[in-house]
Amino acid sequence: MKRISTTVAAALATTVALTGCGGSSGDSSGGGSSGAQLVFRQFDPANEVQGLQEAVDRWNSENPDVQVEMQTLSPNNIQQFAREANSGSGPDIQQLGFVDVSFVADPGILLPLDDLMASSPMESGPDELLATDMVEFDDQTWALPWTADTMALVYRPDALEQAGLDGPPTTWEELASDAEAISSSSDGQTAGFCFAGAGAATGAQWFAINYYIWANGGNLVEEAAPGDWQPGISEADLASAIDYFAGLFESGATPESYLTVADYSDPSIVNGLSSGSCAMSYEPPQTFDLIDGQAGGSVTTAPMPDGLTDGSTHLGGRALGINANTENPEEAWEFVKYLASETTFESYDQYPASPSTLEALDVPESQQGFVEQLPHSRSFARYIGSPMTVASLQQLVNQQFSAVYSGQATSQAAARAILDGLESGLQG
Amino acid sequence: MTTTVRRRAQPYALTAPALAVIGVLFVFPAVYNVVLAFQRLSPFESPGDAVWVGFANFSALFRDPQTRTSAVNTVLWLTATTVVLRLVLGMGLALLLQSRVLGRWGLRGVARTLVLVPWMLPPVVAVASWRWLLDANSGVVNQVLVGLGLVDRGIPFLASTDTVWWSVVAIIVWRELPFVVIVLMAGLQSIPQEQYEAASLDAAGRLQSFWYVTVPNLRPVITVIVLVTVIQTFNNFVYVWLTTGGGPGTYTQVLATQLYSAAFIANDLGRGAAIGIVMTCVMAVFAVIYLRVSNEREETP
Repeated sequence: MKRISTTVAAALATTVALTGCGGSSGDSSGGGSSGAQLVFRQFDPANEVQGLQEAVDRWNSENPDVQVEMQTLSPNNIQQFAREANSGSGPDIQQLGFVDVSFVADPGILLPLDDLMASSPMESGPDELLATDMVEFDDQTWALPWTADTMALVYRPDALEQAGLDGPPTTWEELASDAEAISSSSDGQTAGFCFAGAGAATGAQWFAINYYIWANGGNLVEEAAPGDWQPGISEADLASAIDYFAGLFESGATPESYLTVADYSDPSIVNGLSSGSCAMSYEPPQTFDLIDGQAGGSVTTAPMPDGLTDGSTHLGGRALGINANTENPEEAWEFVKYLASETTFESYDQYPASPSTLEALDVPESQQGFVEQLPHSRSFARYIGSPMTVASLQQLVNQQFSAVYSGQATSQAAARAILDGLESGLQG
Repeated sequence: MTTTVRRRAQPYALTAPALAVIGVLFVFPAVYNVVLAFQRLSPFESPGDAVWVGFANFSALFRDPQTRTSAVNTVLWLTATTVVLRLVLGMGLALLLQSRVLGRWGLRGVARTLVLVPWMLPPVVAVASWRWLLDANSGVVNQVLVGLGLVDRGIPFLASTDTVWWSVVAIIVWRELPFVVIVLMAGLQSIPQEQYEAASLDAAGRLQSFWYVTVPNLRPVITVIVLVTVIQTFNNFVYVWLTTGGGPGTYTQVLATQLYSAAFIANDLGRGAAIGIVMTCVMAVFAVIYLRVSNEREETP
């Protein structure tokens, strides 16, 4: 019996210890420390956030009473944060993709920021920030737009020059003809336009498809009246968009091998641009940095085709939200303000969502494509609020475009399937 | 507490922890999954926010034309094809590894170790490696094919409808074959040598010995292998999702990937739970057969 009692005591001790590990990390009273302990969770890969870690370390050295631990949980898993917050735990400050804020804009998950903003205002007003339409719902601000990005055309000037082209394409038609010219003039050694053509749910062709549709005046879904969502593109226009992208493979502008590529950061695109076997693609800033480093200055950026037309490209980025369960909301807000300040972006290699902060930063010449395009980019707010999630739209569109590339469906059949999927999904 | 009471309570006390674990980890999630199938709930809501929708999730599931395609893919390609291939190739490998020739050359140990290698790799790593091997740009398979002049340019194995299912099947068979080989080898080792000697005395050739001695002796083992691999494979999500994501288009969509898409991409946990219940019902049939076969084997003196 004595042995059993000892075992039970040991088990209880272990349980208590484990419970302690899983407790609220935002507990300011634990560990004998008199100051606040905050947990900031972000999801970008560890190799992209060294500058951010430096900024956090700087905060910790300057604010001994408010210490912050940066957690990296990559890739993005917003459902994990929602589960934790719903059960009363989770990090104090959470990095959020713009499109995810609407899912967690709930008083049980995120703390509305309006009162904190009023009591301790930011240096530059929140109205100046980009993408506020992605963080404001029901007249409340649920997160602070933090970083901004978009996809710019990344190209190799030497490959264009060898094909006799003066400069990067400025329209989608030019892109197709230029890419075909590059592929054919190099006998297939240099692919004209490398893009991720796989039908994966998270496939990156989604961005190019939307850019093409938006540049041609369409939208996948539109809110015809408050709460009444409808497909925003005709079957003929959708089929035409599918034909355009399928035509890139048929003409040889894009090699068939890219049918299996799902991500813009796939090695075949990144290494292709670096080595010169790929002439053009589209990338966000952080991936461009990687390619630029590998290519030794042989790549540069330009706005996407029609990218200087307002609303023809997407404005992506990250926001910062405060967990509704935090025991230190004021301290968390001060840290959020710090992350959004110019000081952070001096070491953190991202574009701030504040245009005034962006202007103050020294952006390299090769990245001017992003800088030129960003003011014209618009967020995916145009799709937020519909009964279909952006991820569902992305999966449906990627699958059907991919079905045409692989010969399973005609462009008309795929366009009809997309519209059927939209109509069914929008009914809720 | 008297000794009698303590003695009577002892079985309950000893089984209580196991029952608690089973209840918390198996019974509760299973029951909750059934409840969820009749509700509408997103992963961002707490269970208290769920809305009862009756059989709506099931009717939507059976109206969706994708369900039929996914079911056919799950049964025909993911399960039947891979199980049959694993059994046939596994039998061949098991016989090879048992052969006297390998023993004579001292290669039996090395060969057995090599056969186990795929099983040691985590499925995610195995799929990532195969994706790289089959890559149309830089994959070794295509480099060899182009180098030998068999094709002009790389074949997009995982994006062409002609090759994608066979590629997925190859990955699954490669990764899961060792389990079949090990179990068959154990079965082969349990066959009494006298039976082969008797067959030899009756002038039976190798093929006849295999057919009239090996196969009948292995039949119970083969039955268990089929049932276990069917149950393991029918529910499998990892291979298809990581290899093709259900594409190109929806060509390789299976029930498990459809479940994931419904629950975690469309954020409809109820619909995902409904698909899960349909899959469970199908698997329950195989589980019952498996349990019956196992019990029969245990009861056989």
